[in-house]
Amino acid sequence: MELDNLKVVWQVLEDPLSRGRRPGDPAAEVHAAGMSSGRESLLPLLQQRSRGPVARMRRNLRIELLCIIVAYIPLILFYLVEFQGRLRAISLLLILVGALFCAYYYRKSRLLTTMQCPACQVRSNLARQVGTLKRYTRFYLLASTIVIPAMAILTYAIFHLRLFYPGDGIVYHRLSPAPWWASPTLWLLMLVPLTVGMYYFNAWYINRLYGRHIKKLQELLREMDEE
Amino acid sequence: MVSTDQQEAFIRLVDQHRGILHKVCRLYCFTDTDRQDLFQEIVIQLWRSYPGFRGDAKFSTWLYRIALNTAISDLRKQRPPTTSTSPDQLPTELQDIQYSGEKEQQLQLLYTAINRLTEVEKALTMLYLEDRTYQEMEEILGITQNNLRVKMNRIKDKLRKMTKEAAYGIG
Repeated sequence: MELDNLKVVWQVLEDPLSRGRRPGDPAAEVHAAGMSSGRESLLPLLQQRSRGPVARMRRNLRIELLCIIVAYIPLILFYLVEFQGRLRAISLLLILVGALFCAYYYRKSRLLTTMQCPACQVRSNLARQVGTLKRYTRFYLLASTIVIPAMAILTYAIFHLRLFYPGDGIVYHRLSPAPWWASPTLWLLMLVPLTVGMYYFNAWYINRLYGRHIKKLQELLREMDEE
Repeated sequence: MVSTDQQEAFIRLVDQHRGILHKVCRLYCFTDTDRQDLFQEIVIQLWRSYPGFRGDAKFSTWLYRIALNTAISDLRKQRPPTTSTSPDQLPTELQDIQYSGEKEQQLQLLYTAINRLTEVEKALTMLYLEDRTYQEMEEILGITQNNLRVKMNRIKDKLRKMTKEAAYGIG
């Protein structure tokens, strides 16, 4: 079979209009599969949402944001109002973590916006996807790894500096003088293996989520470049 | 905001070039559901990108880029074929197509062989069969013309070998 001899066959037989509607006919399959064109069938598609990988990532990120909002706002209000406002420090901690999450959301959202350029040349679009996806996963790994030590350090700072310290001092009374297990050094020492463990777990999880996708894109790019 | 006129113009253009979309879907997907999904995804991506289409390139070139970018990047679509493409089963499969003439059989054989190519090779083969010039291929794929020629020769050899193996039942 010579490819050049098949050009005409391909062009004529593969035109949906030139084909009948015989059973098993690829053109008939096309219509059966809901791929028929024409104004009536194309118009509804324009209102539909994308189901591509980037759109799915964006949707997951929005769900993540929604979960944070739903979980944090009632908690922040609860600790501000309840216990006569003596645990306002916890609200402050949650607000700070929430602010860090906003920065995380913004960065991820920006990366997703620049991840694809469907109208660009196929090679440059692939290169852009590989580069952005690598940056995305690096940031994901960094952000998800530092969240626990960051929270621990913030908690320590808030309680140590006694921010929002209630006037009567009852809340922190039991921690003063500090028992052996409340020693900052001990907590710091425990944070190190925990952070390292988190790093490896997150690296495994992120690789599970995006590893194959990145590898496949890299393979495609390599194939396009090789001579 | 896209006006109704633009929407109508877009639908008219896509309708005129629908053959390209069908071919891309057929080449990159093995099941009807996947083909339908890919077709919808390409139309959505075309519509989203349409405001940015300035007419610097031909509409078909722009459409090829988006269709191939969507098909190649959307890795959900890489599902195994539901029917076997093992070369030793080709003659039986071809016999089952009662309606087909010699040329349709050749096309079927070609599809079966193309299914075994990589995503990049499929794109090149399709553009070649569509009689696109190497310059157009370069504009669409971003691969230099020299590299395209080398790759195309390799693909031709590969397809020739595959179909020869199929004809002799070697697999």
